[in-house]
Amino acid sequence: MNRLKALMMREYWENKGAFRTTPLVIGGIYVTVFLMGIITFGYFDNEFHTLKEAIQYLAANTDPGHRAMAVEMGLMFNSFLFTLVLAFVVFFYLLGSLYDDRKDRSILWWKSLPASDTLTLASKLLSAMFVVPLLFFVVYVATMLVVNLIGAIVVLALGQNPWTLFLGLANPLKPLGLLLASYLAMAIWALPLYGWLMFVSAVSPRIPLLFALVPPAVFAVLQIWIDFLRTFTLKTNLGGLIWNWFANSPLIISGGEHNNSIGAALGVPITDDFDHAVTIGNMLDRLFSKDMLMGLVVAAVFLAAALWLRHRASDS
Amino acid sequence: MSNVIEARGLTKRYGRYTAVDNIDLEVPAGRIVGLIGPNGAGKTSALKAILGLTSFDGHLNVLGKDPSRDRASLMEEVCFIADVAVLPRWARVWQLIEFTEKVHPHFSREKCVRYLSTTKVTLDHKVKQLSKGMVAQLHLAIVMAIDVKLLVLDEPTLGLDILYRKQFYTNLLNDYFDEHRSILITTHQVEEVEHILSDLIFIKEGKIALDCTMEDVQERYVELMVAPERAEAARALNPLFERVLFGRHIFLYQNGNREQLKEFGELHTPNVADLFVATMSGGES
Repeated sequence: MNRLKALMMREYWENKGAFRTTPLVIGGIYVTVFLMGIITFGYFDNEFHTLKEAIQYLAANTDPGHRAMAVEMGLMFNSFLFTLVLAFVVFFYLLGSLYDDRKDRSILWWKSLPASDTLTLASKLLSAMFVVPLLFFVVYVATMLVVNLIGAIVVLALGQNPWTLFLGLANPLKPLGLLLASYLAMAIWALPLYGWLMFVSAVSPRIPLLFALVPPAVFAVLQIWIDFLRTFTLKTNLGGLIWNWFANSPLIISGGEHNNSIGAALGVPITDDFDHAVTIGNMLDRLFSKDMLMGLVVAAVFLAAALWLRHRASDS
Repeated sequence: MSNVIEARGLTKRYGRYTAVDNIDLEVPAGRIVGLIGPNGAGKTSALKAILGLTSFDGHLNVLGKDPSRDRASLMEEVCFIADVAVLPRWARVWQLIEFTEKVHPHFSREKCVRYLSTTKVTLDHKVKQLSKGMVAQLHLAIVMAIDVKLLVLDEPTLGLDILYRKQFYTNLLNDYFDEHRSILITTHQVEEVEHILSDLIFIKEGKIALDCTMEDVQERYVELMVAPERAEAARALNPLFERVLFGRHIFLYQNGNREQLKEFGELHTPNVADLFVATMSGGES
């Protein structure tokens, strides 16, 4: 247990820039853009409606229930950029996880210490599944706190009560809890991809990105082509499989079909009957499905192969 | 004393190429063994097998364990420095120390910090900020603070200047080595280790060309320096190797009759480098 903790600490040290600095930078961008928005609004005060008037209008003419919903939706929508960047960070982290130390030969140092390959692999997978999403989530929550605090100060300065206007209306735990749950569900849902990336990372002699993308792309194109020649239809192929996997993922940014309109509400649960809405019920539905079971089998095969390769790997 | 390493029929193939060819090897406890061979002779392949870094054929037992299956638990008793400059460049010194302390049951932080205090390496340095010599010092400081039974060094001083190289081996001998430990060193810079070795193994094209203690070397081999006019007669006595230096002929004999050889000229104990050259250039076979 202690060794696993030390190994995960080592992952954090090595990837501090990606794991910690990246979400902080995004949070900084959010706050800056928010401040710029307020300043811009205030700058044109003389020519158009003033910020003060706008807030007065909101306070007087909108329904608190609608405002509460807007706040809740906002708390989910605003996570979009965080989630997108998080996906990239996890992708490239896993792609380098079993490759970088082979490339710079420091694998000879890590392997001179009594930490097993299984534990090493586990520490990297667990970091990708939980540590990175949790760090992004914490920074996101902090960013939302700061943004709301600034908003409250501005509203207060303009003579309105921020508590009745927006702060006290919504329960932030619900959207934030849903976001966190979606990150955790995604960690499991994405295991086949994570397994593939670690396998590629362990097997690539160089440029793992190429090895991760080109073989499935070539395979998918060939499959579509052969399918098309043979049956003149396009039903199941790797490309379609991957698209379905993504469309069904329990991610708040993910789209999907609802009444033939793609990307409706971007997975935000406006109504529970929306099949791709990210609700706890839908998440559990996904995680206990036959698809997920097959995904776990695929992930296990890739991870076992990665472990076997890691066991034999040294610097050459 | 029991053996730290026992290999029987150890073989390592890469495709059709055989890097280590059916070697038998024993390293007793409390010895400093030099595994010496030219580039590509199979030294590193043999070491990798011993350290559980590669698959192999044959029987191999290191401290009672099978390295190919048990690397993690083996590394509690064995430490190695494989080449210089393999410490991760992104890491800070304190991070390496903290990690090693958490992962290794026999690591002493105090010892490590004490060794480091004699160098210019500070705890806050990043490895990439250090010179090659300082990285080697850091690596040695960490390794010397780990209490293990076997230390394996693979070309540990390659590319370091003479000051660091001397210091490296001095520290190793004075502060680390004792009768409970064994050290296995591979290098092709023979001169710099010959004074610290207790045993000598030459490896040539994947096979063991010589395996003996340093005392054996002194007993078994003798070098004779003769003037040109007597060279013919000396050559008739079956020397292992002959070379010419400043117009004098130098012959190397295995198990030569010293009384008889003394007649021809001066006798010396050959140094390891000369013995190495003689062995590698055909010698015994």
